[in-house]
Amino acid sequence: MDWSSVSEVAIPHPREIQVAVVEWLDERYPFTKSVDEALYQRVPNFANAFYYCFGGMVFILIVLQLLTGILLSLYYVPDATGIPAPAYTSVQFIQNTVYLGWLIRGVHFWGANLLIIMVLLHMARVYWTGSYRAPRELNWMVGVVMLLLILAFSLTGYLLPWDQKAYFATEVTIKIAGLPPPPQLGEFIREILQGGPVVGPPTLQRFFTIHVFLLPALITLLMYVHFRFIRAHGISEPM
Amino acid sequence: MADSTAPARFTRRTFLGWWMAGLLTATVVVGLAPILVYLWPAPPKGQKKLPVTVALDKPLDQLANGEAVKFDAPTSPNTAFIMANGGGDNAPGALAFGGFAVKDTNGKPHVFAINCSHLGCPIAVNTTDSTFDCPCHGSRFHLDGTVLHGPATAPLSDLSWKQGSDPKTIVVDGLELGF
Amino acid sequence: MDDRIIDKGGPGAATAATEIPIVEVDSHGGHVLEPEWKRLPIGPDHILYSVVVGLALFPILMGAAGHHLADDMPDEDTHPFFPDHFWPYPIIAVVMLVAVGLLAYFVQKNLQLEPSADPRAATIPRPDWYFLFLFQFIKLGPELFMAVVIPTVAGLALLVWPFIDAIAGPRVAKRLGWKGWPVPGRNIITGTGWVLFLAFIALLTLWALAGPQFCLPWFINNPVCGA
Repeated sequence: MDWSSVSEVAIPHPREIQVAVVEWLDERYPFTKSVDEALYQRVPNFANAFYYCFGGMVFILIVLQLLTGILLSLYYVPDATGIPAPAYTSVQFIQNTVYLGWLIRGVHFWGANLLIIMVLLHMARVYWTGSYRAPRELNWMVGVVMLLLILAFSLTGYLLPWDQKAYFATEVTIKIAGLPPPPQLGEFIREILQGGPVVGPPTLQRFFTIHVFLLPALITLLMYVHFRFIRAHGISEPM
Repeated sequence: MADSTAPARFTRRTFLGWWMAGLLTATVVVGLAPILVYLWPAPPKGQKKLPVTVALDKPLDQLANGEAVKFDAPTSPNTAFIMANGGGDNAPGALAFGGFAVKDTNGKPHVFAINCSHLGCPIAVNTTDSTFDCPCHGSRFHLDGTVLHGPATAPLSDLSWKQGSDPKTIVVDGLELGF
Repeated sequence: MDDRIIDKGGPGAATAATEIPIVEVDSHGGHVLEPEWKRLPIGPDHILYSVVVGLALFPILMGAAGHHLADDMPDEDTHPFFPDHFWPYPIIAVVMLVAVGLLAYFVQKNLQLEPSADPRAATIPRPDWYFLFLFQFIKLGPELFMAVVIPTVAGLALLVWPFIDAIAGPRVAKRLGWKGWPVPGRNIITGTGWVLFLAFIALLTLWALAGPQFCLPWFINNPVCGA
């Protein structure tokens, strides 16, 4: 067999492959230009003040919560039948038996606390610099809705370990949710939240679904809207 | 553009507008109604009302004036008591997982649901003051169930009960939960 | 770069009729970008370009940038997003990750569970620290008002706050004889209101934290104790 022709084929340097790929992309979409625009846009110097980074910290923490939440859901069992309930024992299992389970659950727990602090700091900053004023009113409103979503995250997440304080705190929360008159409306809200006449297994199932499917989807969507607004408006001038 | 002074005519355009709006409404209704119905909790299998016989730690007629004993709803099958009345956050037909059999300071017997009428936390007996105290928001009740200290505004809920055949027991209306 | 002719063979060549029209987007939307000679040398031929592209994907997904403040500012008052503005964030991320990791390791007390939920067991439920102020607030009046009406009104006011500010602000400024609202650099009225609001929440939290033996006189339900 004649190998001479094979040896003449120049093996391209990885860099040349990368450049070729980028060029291929560039012909179909203004690729490098978009990258340049995104990266080398200029930012006002006042945005370097430390209090302008709280929003970014909130974003990082939300991503961290999503990641650790996915990891926790690998072991968590949303089942509240019996005493102790499988939900409770699965959280105990994560905390005490799973390799580094204490770390993942601890990061999720402390991340949530830190997240609340950062959200409040971010909000205080936006308030203090007057960044909610025209034309940014809508973004403030999106932010307030996200704050409520995060509080809903905490409320629903508090129940999931299914221990004593979780159970009774949730019972009070649901009682409060059922306060609006007339009594029929309150009763309706309670039944929908509880999934039954008392706080029990259906309640845990519902709170789990809200915490794990509904709220993450909503907050991801709203974060996208929030960032699009920021991108359209740019950083606001401090007052 | 139609002349604004001309009488309104039902044109093809208005018809299509109404048609689209109607379709959209129908889609939303057809989509949402089943979801709302689906969210409404179905009664679990085996959920039924029944009288529950509860053994008290101390028979009701042996209680001293101002003495109360706590009792729990049975766990197997999982059963809750049904409140006979109630204001505030309790209501007739609401469920309780425990109660107190009590003789108030005048010697009248009562059987109360354990839930505070404020926001439903389980109350506890304060033996030094002869009151029921709520550990949540600090409501306090006299042993006859009336409010001593807010934020609760309504008295404790009674359970509908009668003396059991055995003097140590009482029979209380309950609901087998089915889970 | 933009006027090159496509004459390459490749997987796409067989189906492409003649040449692929290059997608054109006019200049940079009026934005001032960092001049090329000042940028980090991470171009399409650099081994780290994919990292940079990953970073850029985020703003690209967020859509076209509007006309920004920085576009009208002199060069010395601005800096490029990458790397000058971006570099603290990876550090912040790592610091926060380490912080929550250390908390998870050293403060496991807060993560210990109470016994499994038992509706028949007596317990003293307490909310998380950030709901403690609401917990204490509920004690101060009728439950419907304290637990539902006032928080809902406060939440709605927070939601439409920009409009409240825009409507009430200029009137306040007029009454005070200010030239504009707000007086630049002096967010006195809204700032004071905000601080009072936060102070109220902090006081309620401290009151709750002070414990059930700490009681203060109050108009109704007197006295009201901590949690």
